[in-house]
Amino acid sequence: MDNKIKEFVEKLFSEAGKAGFEEYEVYFGSDNSIGVSVREGKVIQYENSDMAALSFRGLYQGQMGYSFTEDFSEEQIPFLLEQAKDNCKVLELKESVTVYEGDKEYPEYSGFSEDLTQLRYEEMANMALELEKKLLAYDSRIEAVDDCCVDYGYAEILIRNSKGMQCFAADNGMGVYVGCRAKENEDVQTYGKSWSFMKRSDFDVDYCAKYVGEHVIAKLGAKPVPSVKTPVVLDKVAARALLASFTGSFSAEAMQKGLSRLAGKVGERIANEKITIIDEGMIGNSPLCIPFDSEGVGAKRTVVVDKGIFVSPLHNRKTALVDGVESTGNGFRGSAKGSLGVSPTNFHLENGTASLEELFSKMGNGVYITSVAGLHAGINGVSGDFSLMAEGFTVENGKVGRPVNQITIADNFFEMLMKIDTLGNDVDYYANDAGHVQSPCLLIPDVSVSGE
Amino acid sequence: MLSDVSISRILTAALCHGGDFSEVYIERSKSSSISLLNGVVEGTSSNLICGIGIRILEGDKCVYVYSNDLQNEEKLIRMAKEASASLSEVPGGRTIYLKPMINYTSQKCEIHPTSVSKAEKILKLRKAAETASNYSSLITQTSASTADVEKDVWIANSDGLYVQDTRCRTRLMIQAIASSGNNKEYGYFGPGSGEGYEFFERYDLDASAREAARIAATMIDAKPCPSGKMPVVLGNGFGGVIFHEACGHALEATAVGIKASCFTDMEGKQIASSIVNAFDDARIAKEWGSYEVDDEGTPSQTTQLIKDGILNSYLIDKIGSRRMNVASTGCARRESYTYSPTSRMSNTFIANGETDPKDIIADTEYGLYCANMGGGSVDTATGEFNFAVNEAYVIRNGKVCEPVKGATLVGKGNDVLMNIDRVGNDLKLAQGMCGSESGTIPVDVGQPTIRVQDITVGGQA
Repeated sequence: MDNKIKEFVEKLFSEAGKAGFEEYEVYFGSDNSIGVSVREGKVIQYENSDMAALSFRGLYQGQMGYSFTEDFSEEQIPFLLEQAKDNCKVLELKESVTVYEGDKEYPEYSGFSEDLTQLRYEEMANMALELEKKLLAYDSRIEAVDDCCVDYGYAEILIRNSKGMQCFAADNGMGVYVGCRAKENEDVQTYGKSWSFMKRSDFDVDYCAKYVGEHVIAKLGAKPVPSVKTPVVLDKVAARALLASFTGSFSAEAMQKGLSRLAGKVGERIANEKITIIDEGMIGNSPLCIPFDSEGVGAKRTVVVDKGIFVSPLHNRKTALVDGVESTGNGFRGSAKGSLGVSPTNFHLENGTASLEELFSKMGNGVYITSVAGLHAGINGVSGDFSLMAEGFTVENGKVGRPVNQITIADNFFEMLMKIDTLGNDVDYYANDAGHVQSPCLLIPDVSVSGE
Repeated sequence: MLSDVSISRILTAALCHGGDFSEVYIERSKSSSISLLNGVVEGTSSNLICGIGIRILEGDKCVYVYSNDLQNEEKLIRMAKEASASLSEVPGGRTIYLKPMINYTSQKCEIHPTSVSKAEKILKLRKAAETASNYSSLITQTSASTADVEKDVWIANSDGLYVQDTRCRTRLMIQAIASSGNNKEYGYFGPGSGEGYEFFERYDLDASAREAARIAATMIDAKPCPSGKMPVVLGNGFGGVIFHEACGHALEATAVGIKASCFTDMEGKQIASSIVNAFDDARIAKEWGSYEVDDEGTPSQTTQLIKDGILNSYLIDKIGSRRMNVASTGCARRESYTYSPTSRMSNTFIANGETDPKDIIADTEYGLYCANMGGGSVDTATGEFNFAVNEAYVIRNGKVCEPVKGATLVGKGNDVLMNIDRVGNDLKLAQGMCGSESGTIPVDVGQPTIRVQDITVGGQA
């Protein structure tokens, strides 16, 4: 960590005590990144950033007030303390939870790759240029690679409070995103995908170019299907996107505010017996690991749904106190600027046993959905209703048929949890395209598809 | 704040190796927010953000570096030099001198939001929350919040341009939730303005609260929306999100400049039905999406995008103007100094036509009337867009009938624009946030009531 920041935190701590805060905490986050984008064989954009931000919170006359700064000059300290006090004065709900004394032990964690620190601008540019070249060479119908970027990021988080808790984590990662456009006659299709890597040698440019090339070409000639109620297979990308949109329903905060349909359902069946959902901070040596939450509670493994029975919602310390349980280590802020809420860590709908092909043969005839769009608007997070733009392929007699676009799929998420027929076995937590929310492919009977 | 001399030094350093143009964007913004859940203050925040973005162009190639360490001039100069060195190894460059500063005031703030006590704002919000809550016994929850920002920006570039602008925006957001059994439906209303706290002094908060509650209470009993292709009447105001998604984004130079738009090379050609006229107008006084000068220091303008169905102009920023060899339309925007600017919309709307909206409904035998829209998204290369409908009704025999819920509309921009067969005379603007390459920025959408002959409606029924 930067010495200037360390000194700032020391000074802030000594002033906070003098200013009459009974307890206080800082949450510091920094982010350094470089990114290179290429197009038509040339670097077209190079970005480099250096960002740091600090949030202060302090307990003053029974209220917890927050303040925030990106300016680490000493004269900001009185401003931070004063803002936090001002914010205490207008809060009306008595703060029940104060700062956390910390766990005795934290899981061992290394999200930092020495190998990646060797990454330089020229190497990143070459990676991106090669990827663009190979993707364009994959098929003559690929007209352009509109986005092709490689970036590297290094981030630090420090949480430190007046109860002596100190949590620090530093991690880095390399990301690759490529999106391209293919054209055949008047038909234009696009496809994009991102990966993240912990070692430079893990990036396999041939694999990435082929993957994106295959997927965009497969979409050429896509058209709608007639409007119908039909079984669908959601591939793991579409299933994951849908699940990610409803993780909020499993938060105790949403339940306590009456904003989740799962409120009051702990111990009850909310899904069929094939469904198990786990939230897990640490998954092996994955770069996705989160060793502690924004309150400094160490990573846990929470069985959220066990064979269809709703076992536990996700908690931060405040929601846990209300329910008389322990925090599940899900107290997160989006950034130093954000306030503390409840978010999942690694949220997994566990694998079933069927392969994707087995789902197709079991379905016989229906639609295979490979992508959904409009998730920020087309879902009702409380009722579970969703209606989303989708694309994919027809499935006829158990075989993948022609490409489909310009359709919507509509259903209710909670009813879907009850009626999922078969779960695939294709979640790989360690894959370079894995995200924090994962689901296998799913066979779901009777989904409303709207098209022609 | 960095001095003029420091800014000149950074602009000079940014051209010390490669690059034909350098630019500095410095921002200092104060924002605050208060939110009430069921009438009780749940959260409040005050943030101060300041930072700098340094951009170097060489042809249409762009290098962008940013930092929030404004104290450290030497570090900023080093970042600028490194950025320049990424363009060329050969030393070169020139010394940049700034012309006198031009001052703009995109929004004149009569009452600074920070000068008003939080207690006073809370009082207003609580009253609005009560109004929403009392609207109907179906309303079980409310949230009411305000957010305001006062932003000062300084933009300087290697042409010697040096401008300063002050921007102020205030927004109210009211959400009501109606419950019935297991079911919950939202109603939302979120007016905003390019003004200070005076917006709250003159605005009827209770009317917004009633509107949010009315939508929730109406939709709670709604049946699932029918599916399939059908005629759709889109109400005025936020209905304009259809033009924003189906056309607006695809007219931005970000997409057109690299030929990745479905409207590439269509200038002067018909892209919409001949009754459609559309504008992007950043100069409407006090409007949420307005500004006097864009984030590259170019004065804003009123741009006619579509004239009688013919594509009249794209939205062009500096890089776009280099790629397309046309002048900037003053539309370069960014969320903050952490984003390099690009072509964006401001207040974008379909202009008034001649038809009375009542006649549009009366003239529709069967279809969907979308009274309130939610957000959407688009793939500008294919023109495929989608957006959610928050309040919809079935139209039968020229009459608005029962409410239906859960509808999403999908289509292709080029098809839908040609399919607009009625344009009403009740133009209204509505406020929203638009997310794209250069971050999330305030924009207005708008339109009079319009009818699209045929569009895919996705519902559960």
